[in-house]
Amino acid sequence: MAQESLLVSAFYLLVFTAMLITYRVVRGPTLPDRVVALNAITTKVVVIIAVVSVIRGEYYLVDLAIVLLMVNAVGGLILAKYMERRALYD
Amino acid sequence: MSRVPFYLKERLEALRERVLREEFEASKLPPWERVVLTWAVLMTFWVVVSGSFSANNLALGAVVTLIIAAFMRDLLTEDIRRSGNIIEKLIYFAFIYLPQYLVIMAFRLLESNLKVAKNVIFMDINPGIVKIKTDLHSDTGVTILANSITLTPGTLTLDVKKKLDGTYLYIHWIDLETLNREKAGEKIKGDIEEWLKKVFW
Amino acid sequence: MIEIILMLFGGAVMLFGALGILRFPDVYTRLHAATKCDTGGAMGIILALILIMDAPAVVRAKFLVLAFLIAMINPMVSHAIARGAYRYGVKPKVVVDMYAWDNS
Repeated sequence: MAQESLLVSAFYLLVFTAMLITYRVVRGPTLPDRVVALNAITTKVVVIIAVVSVIRGEYYLVDLAIVLLMVNAVGGLILAKYMERRALYD
Repeated sequence: MSRVPFYLKERLEALRERVLREEFEASKLPPWERVVLTWAVLMTFWVVVSGSFSANNLALGAVVTLIIAAFMRDLLTEDIRRSGNIIEKLIYFAFIYLPQYLVIMAFRLLESNLKVAKNVIFMDINPGIVKIKTDLHSDTGVTILANSITLTPGTLTLDVKKKLDGTYLYIHWIDLETLNREKAGEKIKGDIEEWLKKVFW
Repeated sequence: MIEIILMLFGGAVMLFGALGILRFPDVYTRLHAATKCDTGGAMGIILALILIMDAPAVVRAKFLVLAFLIAMINPMVSHAIARGAYRYGVKPKVVVDMYAWDNS
Protein backbone atom coordinates (compact mmCIF):
# COMPACT_ATOMS: atom_id res chain seq x y z
CA MET A 1 0.00 0.00 0.00
CA ALA A 2 1.94 2.97 -1.24
CA GLN A 3 -0.85 5.38 -0.46
CA GLU A 4 -1.17 4.38 3.18
CA SER A 5 2.57 4.84 3.77
CA LEU A 6 2.30 8.24 2.04
CA LEU A 7 -0.49 9.26 4.41
CA VAL A 8 1.39 8.06 7.48
CA SER A 9 4.53 9.92 6.43
CA ALA A 10 2.46 13.08 5.88
CA PHE A 11 1.04 12.62 9.39
CA TYR A 12 4.53 12.41 10.92
CA LEU A 13 5.72 15.41 8.89
CA LEU A 14 2.80 17.52 10.16
CA VAL A 15 3.48 16.51 13.77
CA PHE A 16 7.15 17.43 13.28
CA THR A 17 6.29 20.91 11.93
CA ALA A 18 3.87 21.48 14.82
CA MET A 19 6.66 20.62 17.26
CA LEU A 20 9.00 23.04 15.46
CA ILE A 21 6.51 25.88 15.93
CA THR A 22 6.16 25.02 19.63
CA TYR A 23 9.58 26.63 20.08
CA ARG A 24 8.07 29.97 19.03
CA VAL A 25 5.17 29.50 21.46
CA VAL A 26 7.51 28.82 24.40
CA ARG A 27 9.95 31.67 23.86
CA GLY A 28 8.36 34.27 21.64
CA PRO A 29 9.61 37.71 22.66
CA THR A 30 6.12 39.25 22.72
CA LEU A 31 2.48 38.20 23.04
CA PRO A 32 1.58 38.51 19.30
CA ASP A 33 4.33 36.03 18.40
CA ARG A 34 2.73 33.44 20.62
CA VAL A 35 -0.70 34.11 19.15
CA VAL A 36 0.62 33.69 15.59
CA ALA A 37 2.33 30.43 16.49
CA LEU A 38 -0.78 29.10 18.25
CA ASN A 39 -2.93 29.83 15.19
CA ALA A 40 -0.46 28.05 12.93
CA ILE A 41 -0.45 25.02 15.25
CA THR A 42 -4.25 24.88 15.27
CA THR A 43 -4.40 24.92 11.48
CA LYS A 44 -1.91 22.08 11.40
CA VAL A 45 -4.02 20.14 13.92
CA VAL A 46 -7.05 20.56 11.65
CA VAL A 47 -5.12 19.07 8.74
CA ILE A 48 -3.84 16.26 11.01
CA ILE A 49 -7.43 15.36 11.95
CA ALA A 50 -8.40 15.24 8.25
CA VAL A 51 -5.42 12.95 7.47
CA VAL A 52 -6.27 10.65 10.41
CA SER A 53 -9.88 10.40 9.27
CA VAL A 54 -8.73 9.22 5.84
CA ILE A 55 -6.18 6.76 7.30
CA ARG A 56 -8.68 5.07 9.62
CA GLY A 57 -11.64 5.38 7.28
CA GLU A 58 -13.85 7.12 9.83
CA TYR A 59 -15.15 10.13 7.99
CA TYR A 60 -17.18 11.66 10.79
CA LEU A 61 -13.94 13.15 12.13
CA VAL A 62 -14.14 15.80 9.38
CA ASP A 63 -17.04 17.45 11.19
CA LEU A 64 -14.78 17.72 14.22
CA ALA A 65 -12.12 19.40 12.07
CA ILE A 66 -14.64 21.96 10.75
CA VAL A 67 -15.81 22.79 14.27
CA LEU A 68 -12.21 23.14 15.51
CA LEU A 69 -11.49 25.52 12.63
CA MET A 70 -14.47 27.72 13.51
CA VAL A 71 -13.47 27.78 17.20
CA ASN A 72 -9.97 28.75 16.09
CA ALA A 73 -11.37 31.71 14.16
CA VAL A 74 -13.37 32.98 17.13
CA GLY A 75 -10.43 32.48 19.48
CA GLY A 76 -8.05 34.36 17.20
CA LEU A 77 -10.44 37.30 16.89
CA ILE A 78 -10.92 37.43 20.68
CA LEU A 79 -7.15 37.39 21.27
CA ALA A 80 -6.67 40.18 18.71
CA LYS A 81 -9.35 42.31 20.37
CA TYR A 82 -7.71 41.62 23.75
CA MET A 83 -4.38 42.89 22.44
CA GLU A 84 -6.02 46.08 21.14
CA ARG A 85 -7.78 46.74 24.44
CA ARG A 86 -4.78 45.95 26.60
CA ALA A 87 -2.75 48.68 24.94
CA LEU A 88 -5.25 51.22 26.28
CA TYR A 89 -4.95 50.20 29.90
CA ASP A 90 -1.20 49.80 30.42
CA MET B 1 -13.86 73.71 -3.75
CA SER B 2 -10.63 74.94 -2.30
CA ARG B 3 -11.87 77.79 -0.12
CA VAL B 4 -15.11 76.67 1.48
CA PRO B 5 -16.07 78.21 4.83
CA PHE B 6 -16.01 75.77 7.69
CA TYR B 7 -19.74 75.99 8.44
CA LEU B 8 -20.47 75.04 4.85
CA LYS B 9 -17.97 72.23 4.88
CA GLU B 10 -19.84 70.18 7.48
CA ARG B 11 -23.08 70.64 5.56
CA LEU B 12 -21.41 69.45 2.34
CA GLU B 13 -20.01 66.37 4.04
CA ALA B 14 -23.48 65.47 5.39
CA LEU B 15 -25.02 65.98 1.96
CA ARG B 16 -22.45 63.79 0.26
CA GLU B 17 -23.00 61.06 2.82
CA ARG B 18 -26.74 61.17 2.25
CA VAL B 19 -26.28 60.88 -1.52
CA LEU B 20 -24.05 57.85 -0.99
CA ARG B 21 -26.62 56.32 1.32
CA GLU B 22 -29.45 56.77 -1.18
CA GLU B 23 -27.37 55.30 -3.93
CA PHE B 24 -26.71 52.34 -1.64
CA GLU B 25 -30.40 51.88 -0.95
CA ALA B 26 -31.25 52.04 -4.64
CA SER B 27 -28.64 49.51 -5.67
CA LYS B 28 -29.89 46.72 -3.42
CA LEU B 29 -31.61 43.63 -4.73
CA PRO B 30 -35.39 43.26 -4.23
CA PRO B 31 -36.35 41.39 -1.03
CA TRP B 32 -37.54 38.10 -2.47
CA GLU B 33 -34.35 37.69 -4.48
CA ARG B 34 -32.35 38.22 -1.30
CA VAL B 35 -34.42 35.57 0.49
CA VAL B 36 -33.97 33.11 -2.38
CA LEU B 37 -30.20 33.61 -2.57
CA THR B 38 -29.70 33.22 1.19
CA TRP B 39 -31.95 30.16 1.19
CA ALA B 40 -30.00 28.51 -1.63
CA VAL B 41 -26.67 29.05 0.12
CA LEU B 42 -27.92 27.76 3.49
CA MET B 43 -29.64 24.75 1.89
CA THR B 44 -26.45 23.75 0.08
CA PHE B 45 -24.48 23.98 3.30
CA TRP B 46 -27.09 21.90 5.13
CA VAL B 47 -27.12 19.14 2.52
CA VAL B 48 -23.32 18.93 2.40
CA VAL B 49 -22.81 18.92 6.16
CA SER B 50 -25.66 16.58 7.11
CA GLY B 51 -24.71 14.19 4.31
CA SER B 52 -27.94 12.23 3.79
CA PHE B 53 -30.58 12.51 1.11
CA SER B 54 -33.67 11.06 2.83
CA ALA B 55 -36.95 12.93 2.41
CA ASN B 56 -37.32 13.70 6.12
CA ASN B 57 -33.91 15.28 6.29
CA LEU B 58 -34.42 17.40 3.18
CA ALA B 59 -37.85 18.66 4.33
CA LEU B 60 -36.54 19.59 7.78
CA GLY B 61 -33.60 21.42 6.27
CA ALA B 62 -35.80 23.29 3.77
CA VAL B 63 -38.21 24.55 6.44
CA VAL B 64 -35.52 25.59 8.93
CA THR B 65 -33.33 27.31 6.35
CA LEU B 66 -36.36 29.13 4.89
CA ILE B 67 -37.21 30.55 8.33
CA ILE B 68 -33.59 31.60 8.90
CA ALA B 69 -33.36 33.14 5.41
CA ALA B 70 -36.52 35.19 5.93
CA PHE B 71 -34.99 36.82 8.99
CA MET B 72 -31.34 37.05 7.88
CA ARG B 73 -31.82 38.14 4.28
CA ASP B 74 -29.60 41.23 4.55
CA LEU B 75 -26.62 39.49 6.04
CA LEU B 76 -25.07 37.92 2.95
CA THR B 77 -26.58 39.66 -0.03
CA GLU B 78 -26.91 43.37 0.65
CA ASP B 79 -23.70 44.23 -1.19
CA ILE B 80 -24.39 42.54 -4.51
CA ARG B 81 -24.64 44.85 -7.49
CA ARG B 82 -28.08 44.98 -9.06
CA SER B 83 -28.18 44.03 -12.73
CA GLY B 84 -30.41 41.95 -14.97
CA ASN B 85 -32.38 38.83 -14.29
CA ILE B 86 -31.58 36.66 -11.28
CA ILE B 87 -31.39 33.32 -13.13
CA GLU B 88 -29.12 34.74 -15.81
CA LYS B 89 -26.93 36.31 -13.17
CA LEU B 90 -26.67 33.09 -11.17
CA ILE B 91 -25.63 31.16 -14.29
CA TYR B 92 -23.05 33.81 -15.16
CA PHE B 93 -21.71 33.74 -11.61
CA ALA B 94 -21.49 29.97 -11.32
CA PHE B 95 -19.96 29.23 -14.73
CA ILE B 96 -17.90 32.29 -15.64
CA TYR B 97 -17.03 34.53 -12.70
CA LEU B 98 -16.32 31.93 -10.02
CA PRO B 99 -13.97 29.67 -12.06
CA GLN B 100 -12.13 32.79 -13.26
CA TYR B 101 -11.54 33.90 -9.66
CA LEU B 102 -10.54 30.42 -8.52
CA VAL B 103 -7.99 30.04 -11.32
CA ILE B 104 -6.49 33.48 -10.64
CA MET B 105 -6.23 32.82 -6.90
CA ALA B 106 -4.80 29.30 -7.32
CA PHE B 107 -1.88 30.53 -9.40
CA ARG B 108 -1.32 33.51 -7.10
CA LEU B 109 -1.24 31.18 -4.07
CA LEU B 110 1.27 28.87 -5.74
CA GLU B 111 3.50 31.81 -6.62
CA SER B 112 3.30 33.24 -3.10
CA ASN B 113 4.25 29.90 -1.55
CA LEU B 114 7.32 29.65 -3.74
CA LYS B 115 8.23 33.25 -2.93
CA VAL B 116 7.97 32.69 0.84
CA ALA B 117 10.16 29.58 0.48
CA LYS B 118 12.73 31.66 -1.40
CA ASN B 119 12.60 34.37 1.27
CA VAL B 120 13.05 31.82 4.04
CA ILE B 121 16.13 30.33 2.41
CA PHE B 122 17.92 33.51 1.36
CA MET B 123 16.49 36.06 3.87
CA ASP B 124 16.52 38.88 1.29
CA ILE B 125 13.69 40.92 2.80
CA ASN B 126 13.14 44.67 2.60
CA PRO B 127 9.80 45.33 4.32
CA GLY B 128 7.67 48.46 4.31
CA ILE B 129 4.11 49.61 4.94
CA VAL B 130 2.38 51.37 2.04
CA LYS B 131 -1.08 52.84 1.56
CA ILE B 132 -3.24 52.15 -1.49
CA LYS B 133 -6.72 53.17 -2.59
CA THR B 134 -9.55 51.12 -4.05
CA ASP B 135 -12.90 52.16 -5.49
CA LEU B 136 -14.97 49.52 -3.72
CA HIS B 137 -17.37 50.71 -1.01
CA SER B 138 -19.23 47.66 0.23
CA ASP B 139 -18.22 45.60 3.24
CA THR B 140 -18.21 42.24 1.48
CA GLY B 141 -16.22 43.50 -1.47
CA VAL B 142 -13.56 45.11 0.73
CA THR B 143 -13.35 41.95 2.85
CA ILE B 144 -12.82 39.69 -0.14
CA LEU B 145 -10.30 42.13 -1.62
CA ALA B 146 -8.33 42.23 1.66
CA ASN B 147 -8.33 38.44 1.95
CA SER B 148 -7.15 38.09 -1.65
CA ILE B 149 -4.39 40.65 -1.05
CA THR B 150 -3.24 38.66 1.98
CA LEU B 151 -2.95 35.54 -0.16
CA THR B 152 -1.11 37.19 -3.08
CA PRO B 153 2.71 37.07 -3.07
CA GLY B 154 4.51 39.27 -0.58
CA THR B 155 1.67 41.38 0.80
CA LEU B 156 -0.38 41.43 4.01
CA THR B 157 -3.33 43.69 4.82
CA LEU B 158 -2.78 45.64 8.03
CA ASP B 159 -5.78 47.96 8.32
CA VAL B 160 -8.77 49.28 6.40
CA LYS B 161 -9.99 52.90 6.52
CA LYS B 162 -13.24 53.89 4.86
CA LYS B 163 -13.45 57.42 3.54
CA LEU B 164 -16.12 59.02 1.39
CA ASP B 165 -14.18 58.96 -1.87
CA GLY B 166 -13.02 55.38 -1.58
CA THR B 167 -11.43 52.88 0.74
CA TYR B 168 -7.82 53.03 1.84
CA LEU B 169 -5.85 49.90 2.67
CA TYR B 170 -2.56 49.74 4.56
CA ILE B 171 -0.37 46.96 3.18
CA HIS B 172 2.70 45.40 4.77
CA TRP B 173 4.91 44.61 1.81
CA ILE B 174 7.78 42.23 2.36
CA ASP B 175 9.78 43.29 -0.68
CA LEU B 176 9.27 47.02 -1.16
CA GLU B 177 9.47 48.11 -4.80
CA THR B 178 7.75 51.48 -5.16
CA LEU B 179 6.19 54.16 -2.98
CA ASN B 180 3.91 55.74 -5.58
CA ARG B 181 0.28 55.04 -4.70
CA GLU B 182 -1.00 54.26 -8.21
CA LYS B 183 1.92 52.05 -9.15
CA ALA B 184 1.78 50.18 -5.84
CA GLY B 185 -1.97 49.69 -6.21
CA GLU B 186 -1.52 48.41 -9.74
CA LYS B 187 1.12 45.94 -8.59
CA ILE B 188 -0.72 44.78 -5.45
CA LYS B 189 -4.34 44.56 -6.55
CA GLY B 190 -3.82 43.26 -10.05
CA ASP B 191 -6.99 42.16 -11.80
CA ILE B 192 -8.87 41.07 -8.68
CA GLU B 193 -10.39 44.50 -8.19
CA GLU B 194 -11.72 44.54 -11.75
CA TRP B 195 -13.28 41.16 -11.10
CA LEU B 196 -14.87 42.26 -7.81
CA LYS B 197 -16.34 45.41 -9.34
CA LYS B 198 -18.55 43.31 -11.58
CA VAL B 199 -20.24 41.55 -8.67
CA PHE B 200 -20.13 43.91 -5.69
CA TRP B 201 -20.61 47.66 -5.71
CA MET C 1 0.34 10.17 -9.54
CA ILE C 2 -0.99 13.70 -9.22
CA GLU C 3 -2.02 13.12 -5.61
CA ILE C 4 1.58 12.20 -4.69
CA ILE C 5 2.79 15.47 -6.22
CA LEU C 6 0.13 17.47 -4.39
CA MET C 7 0.90 15.77 -1.08
CA LEU C 8 4.67 16.33 -1.40
CA PHE C 9 4.07 19.98 -2.36
CA GLY C 10 1.80 20.51 0.65
CA GLY C 11 4.27 18.92 3.05
CA ALA C 12 7.20 20.92 1.71
CA VAL C 13 5.24 24.18 1.92
CA MET C 14 4.19 23.39 5.51
CA LEU C 15 7.83 22.72 6.43
CA PHE C 16 8.99 26.00 4.87
CA GLY C 17 6.24 27.84 6.74
CA ALA C 18 7.43 26.41 10.05
CA LEU C 19 11.03 27.38 9.22
CA GLY C 20 9.80 30.87 8.32
CA ILE C 21 8.06 31.25 11.67
CA LEU C 22 11.33 30.29 13.34
CA ARG C 23 13.65 32.45 11.25
CA PHE C 24 11.95 35.75 10.37
CA PRO C 25 12.83 38.80 12.48
CA ASP C 26 9.52 40.36 13.62
CA VAL C 27 5.80 39.64 14.01
CA TYR C 28 4.57 40.86 10.62
CA THR C 29 7.02 38.87 8.53
CA ARG C 30 6.22 35.81 10.65
CA LEU C 31 2.56 36.39 9.84
CA HIS C 32 3.48 36.33 6.14
CA ALA C 33 5.06 32.90 6.54
CA ALA C 34 2.28 31.53 8.77
CA THR C 35 -0.70 32.64 6.66
CA LYS C 36 0.49 31.89 3.14
CA CYS C 37 2.25 28.64 3.85
CA ASP C 38 -0.49 27.28 6.08
CA THR C 39 -3.21 28.06 3.56
CA GLY C 40 -1.29 26.70 0.57
CA GLY C 41 -0.09 23.59 2.33
CA ALA C 42 -3.51 22.78 3.77
CA MET C 43 -5.15 23.22 0.35
CA GLY C 44 -2.57 20.91 -1.26
CA ILE C 45 -2.90 18.19 1.37
CA ILE C 46 -6.71 18.30 1.39
CA LEU C 47 -6.92 18.12 -2.43
CA ALA C 48 -4.57 15.13 -2.30
CA LEU C 49 -6.81 13.50 0.33
CA ILE C 50 -9.86 14.03 -1.88
CA LEU C 51 -8.09 12.29 -4.75
CA ILE C 52 -6.77 9.42 -2.60
CA MET C 53 -9.80 8.29 -0.61
CA ASP C 54 -12.55 5.98 -1.82
CA ALA C 55 -15.77 7.36 -0.34
CA PRO C 56 -19.15 8.66 -1.55
CA ALA C 57 -19.27 12.09 -3.13
CA VAL C 58 -20.87 13.74 -0.09
CA VAL C 59 -17.76 13.09 1.99
CA ARG C 60 -15.58 14.64 -0.69
CA ALA C 61 -17.86 17.67 -0.70
CA LYS C 62 -17.32 17.90 3.05
CA PHE C 63 -13.57 18.03 2.50
CA LEU C 64 -14.12 20.78 -0.08
CA VAL C 65 -16.11 22.74 2.51
CA LEU C 66 -13.17 22.34 4.89
CA ALA C 67 -10.76 23.70 2.27
CA PHE C 68 -13.06 26.66 1.51
CA LEU C 69 -13.36 27.51 5.21
CA ILE C 70 -9.59 27.39 5.64
CA ALA C 71 -9.16 29.73 2.68
CA MET C 72 -11.71 32.19 4.11
CA ILE C 73 -10.81 32.10 7.81
CA ASN C 74 -7.00 32.03 7.79
CA PRO C 75 -6.37 35.45 6.11
CA MET C 76 -9.11 37.04 8.22
CA VAL C 77 -7.52 35.95 11.50
CA SER C 78 -4.08 37.01 10.30
CA HIS C 79 -5.41 40.48 9.44
CA ALA C 80 -6.96 40.81 12.90
CA ILE C 81 -3.74 39.70 14.60
CA ALA C 82 -1.64 42.15 12.55
CA ARG C 83 -3.88 45.07 13.53
CA GLY C 84 -3.94 43.97 17.16
CA ALA C 85 -0.16 43.65 17.24
CA TYR C 86 0.25 47.16 15.85
CA ARG C 87 -2.15 48.61 18.41
CA TYR C 88 -0.44 46.57 21.15
CA GLY C 89 2.76 48.48 20.48
CA VAL C 90 5.01 46.16 18.51
CA LYS C 91 7.12 48.40 16.29
CA PRO C 92 7.70 46.90 12.82
CA LYS C 93 11.25 46.76 11.46
CA VAL C 94 10.48 48.50 8.18
CA VAL C 95 11.99 51.00 5.77
CA VAL C 96 8.90 53.21 5.47
CA ASP C 97 5.81 53.19 7.70
CA MET C 98 2.83 55.04 6.25
CA TYR C 99 0.52 53.71 8.95
CA ALA C 100 2.41 55.63 11.63
CA TRP C 101 2.30 58.80 9.51
CA ASP C 102 -1.49 58.83 9.60
CA ASN C 103 -2.06 57.69 13.17
CA SER C 104 0.37 59.57 15.38
